[in-house]
Amino acid sequence: MSILLNNRTRLLIQGLGNEGQNQIRRSLDYGTKVVAGVHPGFRGGETFSHGNHTFPVFATVSEAVENTQANCTIIYVPAPGAADAILENVAAEVPLIVCITEGVPVHDMIRVRTALEGSKSKLIGPNCPGIIQPASNCRVGIHPPDVFMPGNVGVVSRSGTLVYEAVDQLTRAGIGQSTCVGVGGDPIIGEQQQAILRRFNSDPDTDAVVLIGEIGGLAEQAAAAYIKRSMNKPVVAFIAGATAPPGRRMGHAGAIIEGEAGTAEAKLTALEEAGAVISRSPAEIGSTMRRVLEEAGKYQPPGSTD
Amino acid sequence: MNIHEYQAKQLFKSHGVPVPDGGAATTEREARDLLKEIGPDVVVKAQVHAGGRGKGRIVKRDRTTRIYNDLTSDPERHEGQIIGRRRGGVRLASGTEEALKEFRPMMEPDARLVSIQTGPDGAPVSAALIEQQTSIAKEYYFSIQVDGANGQPLIVASAEGGQSIEEVNRTNPRAVLRVPVDPVEGFPSFRGRSLASQLGLPSSAIRPAGEMFANLYRVFIDMDASLVEVNPFVLTTEGTVVAIDGKVGLDDNASFRHGGYEEWRDRSQENPTEIEAEEANIGSYIKLDGDIGCVVNGAGLAMATMDTLMLHGGEPANFLDIGTVNRKDRVIEALRIIVNDPDVKTIFINIFGGLARVDIVAEGVVDAVKELNIQQPLVVRLNGSNVEEGRRVLHDSGIAVQTADELGDAAELAVQAAKSGKRRSRSSN
Repeated sequence: MSILLNNRTRLLIQGLGNEGQNQIRRSLDYGTKVVAGVHPGFRGGETFSHGNHTFPVFATVSEAVENTQANCTIIYVPAPGAADAILENVAAEVPLIVCITEGVPVHDMIRVRTALEGSKSKLIGPNCPGIIQPASNCRVGIHPPDVFMPGNVGVVSRSGTLVYEAVDQLTRAGIGQSTCVGVGGDPIIGEQQQAILRRFNSDPDTDAVVLIGEIGGLAEQAAAAYIKRSMNKPVVAFIAGATAPPGRRMGHAGAIIEGEAGTAEAKLTALEEAGAVISRSPAEIGSTMRRVLEEAGKYQPPGSTD
Repeated sequence: MNIHEYQAKQLFKSHGVPVPDGGAATTEREARDLLKEIGPDVVVKAQVHAGGRGKGRIVKRDRTTRIYNDLTSDPERHEGQIIGRRRGGVRLASGTEEALKEFRPMMEPDARLVSIQTGPDGAPVSAALIEQQTSIAKEYYFSIQVDGANGQPLIVASAEGGQSIEEVNRTNPRAVLRVPVDPVEGFPSFRGRSLASQLGLPSSAIRPAGEMFANLYRVFIDMDASLVEVNPFVLTTEGTVVAIDGKVGLDDNASFRHGGYEEWRDRSQENPTEIEAEEANIGSYIKLDGDIGCVVNGAGLAMATMDTLMLHGGEPANFLDIGTVNRKDRVIEALRIIVNDPDVKTIFINIFGGLARVDIVAEGVVDAVKELNIQQPLVVRLNGSNVEEGRRVLHDSGIAVQTADELGDAAELAVQAAKSGKRRSRSSN
């Protein structure tokens, strides 16, 4: 059942404000198994209902997990409380934590990364669209559900809207998706691209991967190193920002870590040398993947997947 | 967010980091008072949010472009000339009259500092920092930043200070020390002393330097900084250490727990259009050189949209990430910024809704066309959440708009519209 999620995923939603409520309704409509909510001010006994679906809402994550055996949390908590929410899930040993929240202070994320070290939890995000797995109707995020279709291609991206863009092209090209992961756009995130590639590499339901990167940072070089070393499935890569003027970086110091490596050209070169197929245009991700799948004999016309 | 050097030094001082005696002045009276206290040998430093001050120039507003072109065309040539007759942003002076001679042109109402980092408009000078001169034996580099990949603070230090650290890294990478910081332990003085020793500081300076590094780390933590940089800190001829420059970057995301960083912020150093975008709650706006005004949701898609336009032979007039749109007035505000840019010949709206609902975007576009009386050709590509509803809103409105479902087709339309340069008759897909 592909990576991170499956049909045994029992979702907990943390942060039932307006946006959280809207999004969880759409996940319920998509068929996702939502078993619990956590929201401050709920003191037990309350429930959240949408259509035929009802789930209990708790004051704390540990109560929710204890009562419902939730094994994945989606966090819609606003930025000032987001790191606290992640830490609460790490303490409750929730195996998979997905944080959508944008604008989490970087010092908070330093603390989160320290807490994750050696814990039983994995984090996706923050500042990400989440994860979606069409074949198990599992939507842990904010995706527009209609563009997704079950299939054999995995997607991993730093940008949220570029996940939708790439998937829209894949679906139009008759290519379904196994799992789509937006790892998040912040300087410090949970799992990075290469960790997701590793998961796809050992996933029997994924035959090829779309990798979408951006200028800045070194994550694409790490992904390229992994592809070169271990990836035994085709990867189609696009890097956003090739035509962006040099960024207005705060000070010079950031450049010491990455040097010239932050440019799109450096990332594309690293990925190309590692054996990834490059889509120069963001409008050609779908057609490039179609060609790659056909050459590999892995193109499955829609409806042929189980 | 950037702050001024004098503010960084206030933070340093309150955290026990040694800085030269001095302070900021904006009026001649303030300058005289300071000079009486700390004179006669001082350094006068223009306060702007840009680097390269020492090799830059203080000029009147109408000359900034010429000077900027001059500086950027041959930075090497100017390096030797500016220190001397021409007025840079960092000046040594001896005695009150000489110091005021340096101070006055900086604080003229239309004075600008132009450096290779300011761009052709230069930067307005917010204040002058007047400090005692320091007797320098040797210059060093020290900074703390966030290493995203490892999720930890990273200290970078070098005994080759006072110059561009990137240059040192290029020519002599072994002279650049990198020390990852365990966030649980922090950076206690003993780590600081060990770094001081690695930098080759003399034994008299090991203890004060170790304290200084530990205190700079406290600034980094207390202020939610994304960068603390001292280039250079110096070993004085008396054998102790002083931070003679200071740069602090604050994490905008943490402003909620620092009163919005209001006391540290200087809006006169920011681009007015970018402030306007911020006040309208628009994610991010950066002015570029082309003629196609872009409104996009998500930084990644916004960059990819620019990439696509350029691959089709077009030039974006801006980068604009509108953020998550759930109110139509945000679309109107974004379009107001685009329409007010005289370079914009065509407007390209590309929204792929996730959290954002494209029907609300469509309503915003329709209202904006009427309210702002938009004359430029408009190309709209909508997809994602509530797309059918969004397309219906556009279609039923009767506004003149070209639409396409796919990114490549939409970009093609926008580029054609910009090239033909006139408004097309009403059409739809």
